[in-house]
Amino acid sequence: MFEPTAFDLSAIGTGVVNGLVLGSLYALASLGLALIFGVLDIINFAHGDILMISSYIVYLVALSTGNPWIALLSSLALFALFGAGVYRGIIHYVLGKEPLIQIAITVGLGLILQNLALALFRAEPRALPSTLFPYPLSIGPLTLSANRVFVALVSIILCILVHYYSTRTKLGLASRAVAENREAAWLMGINVPLIYMATFTIGVLLTTTAAFLWMQIGPVDPYLGTIFGLLCWIIVALGGLGGVAGIIASGFIIGVLDSLGSIFLTPSGKYIPMYIAFILTIWFKPRGLFGRR
Amino acid sequence: MVEPLLELKNIHAGYGEFRVLHGIDMVVNPGEIVAVIGPNGAGKTTLLKTIMGLTTLYDGRVLFNKHDLTKTSPDRRVKAGLVLIPEGRGLFPNLTVKENLLLGAYTISSRSEVEERLKTVYELFPRLKERENQRAGSLSGGEAQMLAIARGLMSSPKLLMLDEPSLGLAPKIVAEVFEVVKKLRVERNITILLVEQHVKESLELADRAYVIQGGKIIASGKSEELRNLEELRRIYLAV
Ligand SMILES: Nc1ncnc2c1ncn2[C@@H]1O[C@H](COP(=O)(O)OP(=O)(O)O)[C@@H](O)[C@H]1O
Ligand SMILES: [Mg+2]
Repeated sequence: MFEPTAFDLSAIGTGVVNGLVLGSLYALASLGLALIFGVLDIINFAHGDILMISSYIVYLVALSTGNPWIALLSSLALFALFGAGVYRGIIHYVLGKEPLIQIAITVGLGLILQNLALALFRAEPRALPSTLFPYPLSIGPLTLSANRVFVALVSIILCILVHYYSTRTKLGLASRAVAENREAAWLMGINVPLIYMATFTIGVLLTTTAAFLWMQIGPVDPYLGTIFGLLCWIIVALGGLGGVAGIIASGFIIGVLDSLGSIFLTPSGKYIPMYIAFILTIWFKPRGLFGRR
Repeated sequence: MVEPLLELKNIHAGYGEFRVLHGIDMVVNPGEIVAVIGPNGAGKTTLLKTIMGLTTLYDGRVLFNKHDLTKTSPDRRVKAGLVLIPEGRGLFPNLTVKENLLLGAYTISSRSEVEERLKTVYELFPRLKERENQRAGSLSGGEAQMLAIARGLMSSPKLLMLDEPSLGLAPKIVAEVFEVVKKLRVERNITILLVEQHVKESLELADRAYVIQGGKIIASGKSEELRNLEELRRIYLAV
C-alpha cells in the first residue's frame, strides 16, 4: 500500500510510516485483549472475531446511513450490550475453571461469529466506498493521507486514555487490585464481578473502536478476525503484561514488520518476519520485551 | 445486657463440597477483644472467611450490627463495617503502599474523608508515610503487617478481624503487632476478633476466647479461665 508523497520517499521510508500507523491501530486492537487477560485471567480467543463482526456492523451502518459517525456510535452501543451480555451469559461461568474449558468456550464463540459472517456476507472482502478524510496532509517533508494520520492519532490517544484510566482512576486501581489478588480485592469492598463485567465490556468497546478505525483504511472479510487475533496475541506477548507503553511499542514493531513485509514479500510471506520476531522474543525474553511480571 | 456486635448462629460452612465448620455459635460484643485459637487446620481461617461471605455456607446465620448479613456479598459486608485482614496479609505487592491504603478506603466516596483517614493512619504508622511510593512487595515482614493493619483501618471498621497477624514474624516484631492491637482497642475503641497461634499472648490480650478444633467449638470463656484449662494445655503442648 503506497501513499502519495511530496518527495519521492524511498519505499522503505513510506513503509515505515505506514507501519507506524498500522502499528498504533494494532496496539489499540490489542489493548482490549491485554486488559481482559490481565484482570479476568482468561484468554479470549474470540477477540479477533469480535473485531471482525464489529467491522461488518460499522460497514453496514455506514453504508446504509451514509454517516460514519452514526456507524461508530451505533456499533459502540451494540457492542456495549454484546460485551456485558457475553460476560454475564458465558465468561462469568468459566472464570477460574480449567484453561481447556475457557479455550473451548471462547474458541467456540469465535467460530460462531466467523461462520455467521461467512453465511451472511460470503468470503469476498468489503470496504467502505469513501473514507473520513480523503485528502493528503503535509507534515514537514512528508505527505500522508489525512485519513491515516487520523487513525494513528485516535489510536494513540485512546491508548493513553486507557493508561490514564488504569493508573489514575478509582475503577482502574480497583481492577489492578482484582488482577493481583481477587480475594483481597473482595476484602477491600470491591464488587469483583462488577469489575469483571466492566473490564470485559471496556475491552470489547476498545476492540469495536479499533474496528471502526480499521474500516477507514482496510477491507473486512470473515477471516479478518483470525489474522487480527493472532497479531494481537503476538503484540500482547511481546509487550508483556502490565504496561500500555509496552503494547504501543510492540504494536509499532509488528506494524512496521507487517508494512515492510507487504512491500518486499508475498501477501502470505509477510507474516514470516513477525513470527520470527515473536519466536525469538519468547525464546530469549519469555516475559516479553518490556514485561514486568 | 448489651446487644452483640457480631453473632454467628449454627454456622456450617466450607469450600464447595468440602465441609469444614460444623455448627459454630459465637458472639462478639462491642468493644471486646475476642480470640479464636486452635490447632492448624481447625477451621479458624474458614470461620473468618465465612464471616466475610467468602466461603460456601450450608446452614446458619451471620448477624452483624442488628443486620442479617447471611446472604450479603463480601463487598457489602465491608460497607456494613466488617474488615478482615487475611492470613498472609493479602497485600497487593505490585501496587504502592499508598495505593494499598487507598484501596482500604474503597468504600468511602468522599475524597476529603479519605485524605483525613490517610493522615490518621500515617500518624499511627509513620514508617508507611516514608514508604508511601514504594511497592508493597518491597516491605519487610513487620512493615507489611503494619500496612495490612493500616489498610484495614482505612474504612473505619466496626469490627476488625485479624487472621494470624504474627505469622512468619520475628518475636520482637510479634510483640509490636500485639502492642498495636492493644492500642487500637484502648485509643479507638475498635472491636477485635483475633485468630492466633501464639496462645499465651493472645489470651493475655483478649477478654474472651473460643477454642476450635475439627470445625467445632470445644471450649470458650473468659481468657483467664481458659488459661488454666487442662484441655488447652494438652492440645498446645503438642504444638
Ligand atoms: N480454599 C480451600 N479449599 C478447600 N479446602 C480448604 C481451603 N482452605 C482451607 N481448606 C481446608 O479447610 C480446613 C480448615 O482450614 P483452615 O480454615 O485454613 O484452618 P486454620 O486456619 O484453622 O489452620 C483444612 O482441612 C484445609 O485443608
Ligand atoms: Mg488459618
